Amino acid sequence: MSDDLTGIAIDHLSHRYVPRTGQAVTALDNVSLTVPRNSFHALLGPSGCGKSTLLFLIGGFLPIQEGEIRTASGPVLAPGPERGVVFQNFALFPWKTVKQNVLYGIGKRGIRGAEADQRAQHFIDLVHLTGFENSYPAQLSGGMQQRAALARTLATDPDILLMDEPFGALDAQTRRIMQEELLAIWRETRKTVVFVTHDVAEAAYLADTISVMSARPGRIRQRIDAGFNRTADTSVFKSPEFIGLVEHVWDLVRDEVDEARLRSH
Amino acid sequence: MSTQLSLPAPSSLRPPRIAWSAVATVKRFASILAVLLLWEIAGRLHVVRPFLLPHLESVVWRFYSDIVTGTFFWNAALTLYRAVAGFALAAVVGVPLGILIGMNRLMRWFWDPLVSLGFPMPKIAFLPVFMLWFGVFDLSKIAMVAFSSVFVVIASTQAGTAGVERWLLWSARSMGAGRIAVFFQVMLPAAMPQILTGLQVAMPVALITTVVAEMLMGGAGLGGMMMQAGSYADSIGVFVGIIETSCVGAIAVTGMAQLRRHLLRWHPEFNPR
Amino acid sequence: MRILSRTAPLLIVALLWEAITRGGLVPADMLPPFSSVAVELVKLATGGTLLPNTLDSVARAATGFAIAVAAGTAIGAGMALWRGFETAAGPLVQAFYPLPKSALIPLVIVWFGLGDTAKTFLIFLGCLLPVILSTYNGLRGVDQVLVWSARSLGASRAAVIREVLLPAAMPQILTGLRTAVAFSFLLMVSSELIIATNGLGYLIGSYGDNGAYPAMFAVILVVTGLGFAADRAFVALSGFLLRYRE
Repeated sequence: MSDDLTGIAIDHLSHRYVPRTGQAVTALDNVSLTVPRNSFHALLGPSGCGKSTLLFLIGGFLPIQEGEIRTASGPVLAPGPERGVVFQNFALFPWKTVKQNVLYGIGKRGIRGAEADQRAQHFIDLVHLTGFENSYPAQLSGGMQQRAALARTLATDPDILLMDEPFGALDAQTRRIMQEELLAIWRETRKTVVFVTHDVAEAAYLADTISVMSARPGRIRQRIDAGFNRTADTSVFKSPEFIGLVEHVWDLVRDEVDEARLRSH
Repeated sequence: MSTQLSLPAPSSLRPPRIAWSAVATVKRFASILAVLLLWEIAGRLHVVRPFLLPHLESVVWRFYSDIVTGTFFWNAALTLYRAVAGFALAAVVGVPLGILIGMNRLMRWFWDPLVSLGFPMPKIAFLPVFMLWFGVFDLSKIAMVAFSSVFVVIASTQAGTAGVERWLLWSARSMGAGRIAVFFQVMLPAAMPQILTGLQVAMPVALITTVVAEMLMGGAGLGGMMMQAGSYADSIGVFVGIIETSCVGAIAVTGMAQLRRHLLRWHPEFNPR
Repeated sequence: MRILSRTAPLLIVALLWEAITRGGLVPADMLPPFSSVAVELVKLATGGTLLPNTLDSVARAATGFAIAVAAGTAIGAGMALWRGFETAAGPLVQAFYPLPKSALIPLVIVWFGLGDTAKTFLIFLGCLLPVILSTYNGLRGVDQVLVWSARSLGASRAAVIREVLLPAAMPQILTGLRTAVAFSFLLMVSSELIIATNGLGYLIGSYGDNGAYPAMFAVILVVTGLGFAADRAFVALSGFLLRYRE
């Protein structure tokens, strides 16, 4: 990795898949993107634009067909703990308690015993789940489950955090609270974050930069700077600059949404 | 296959009723008591020939003496042993095979038609084959039971394995788990609910098959005992045999349900929100 | 093309069967070669033994099944829709749930002797419970919201049952019926093995007793095929009845 300030470098990435019925679909078309280290980057776009596919490729879950993805640890070939993932439906192991879930990742990093215990407790406290260590996911609300998933991933100390619409399954109020908490944690830990969402205001609130993606085939249409995430001030939502940005980005996205709708008829 | 009734439960066309009261408890057993009462009355009034419907007290007395003399336990244990042994064999073969089929495309291609054929097939038709191959003692019965039960175990295990959410597997891999670790630490536990369901359905199948096999081959065991009672025109014995077999069936089903409850205590079905 | 791909494994099994028996790995009196069985099957089919016994068996199974469906859906529906009936019938149904149905064979012999009525009655009894349970659970499981919508649109109680509850419960009821089809075959064969007077199960048993193993295996194949065909036919019927679903 030549450039010290680059967290993730994506080079001319393309991805095709063949659904069971029909012809091959180009999910991503010649995508190039650099995510600076320690920055919060949002991938925004309509459904089916390939943003999740891009995230899964960075995560190493899908084989790279064309192009290259590099991080500070080298080229992406397979999943690994330096790229932690948080999924929309939490993906907690339902047969393990919250603590056991968090300990799982810690154990994979080679940490055991009392040190592991302390570490797990630290992250459980960080996401405000103190007292629920011995609860099973089935006993927790959606918001609590997502906190647990976040704790589990953070506990493995990844360099990069990949989040696939993590608050999409939560109700609007919980979502807002989780956004604020995520931002607080990010300010403290300063990971490189790639955050997939279709919610413009969410992207504008959380991210340093936003990549607006086009409808299928997925391309990066435009890269926009945000940066409202520097302060803990929630009145930012009312500021004219913020509203202006949201409107601007919305226009871009709306074009793509219309494009996608036209295409599907 | 058969779903468990749960009473009391509100009717969708009426408002829900009060949960527990002495009245509710009485109502639960009322109809059973009513039937028993009718049975007793029919006996007293000689409405039906005792051969067709023995007096309730004769049946109860025979049941009691079966317990006291140990006949019940001896026959029940034998039948249960054969059913459980066959069931265990089906589980040991069916679960790994089901997992392989669920995970591997080639295996699925080969085994799917065979399992689809075997599922609705009346496997009891193979009973004479097993008698031919293994004789008329325990081994043939156990083999027959295993053959009968294995298909549902394979089908459920396969479905459970194939249905594991990829997010769970991906999460584990991204946390650094290798392939083997992912299999034993994630895939198996995730598939467990459905594997257990398959095993729970297989248990009554095993029991039905054991009883038929015993009836055909004779000897000791509940099936053989009932057949013998029938041939000696001992209708009391036949009725008692039904009661005893029901007891064994209830034990088996309850046992499996308890096992499920223990192994899946984390599952939403046991943690209603 | 797909049908070929689906039947290929069966052909592979048939080939293996032929190979291990002809190759001497398994003695012929334990497992006759597939070809001998096939030949025997043709002989039986054209002979005049297979057809009448098949008709006997299938007629019994169908009759028992049909009566069980009629009675079972009525009882299950009654339990789901009327509180009083549920209180009365429910405990009885639950009491019979753990009983392995084959345990009723000697009883049925006591009541009806060694004949056709006994076997048909047994099939009826065996199929009854799955039908009752699936009808009951299917109707119970209907989303309240559907019922409320219909009521608010002015449907009478009878109309709600007919036009909302029954269609909504249909998938689960049909699943129960599919199980009952399998049970009907199971009990048909079981009863014919034990009450050995006529039918396919009787043929299997008697050929086995007399050492006519190719014939025995041939009839087993017939029974297997029938069970499979009945299940497929039922799935097709279900698909047709539920065609408005996804």
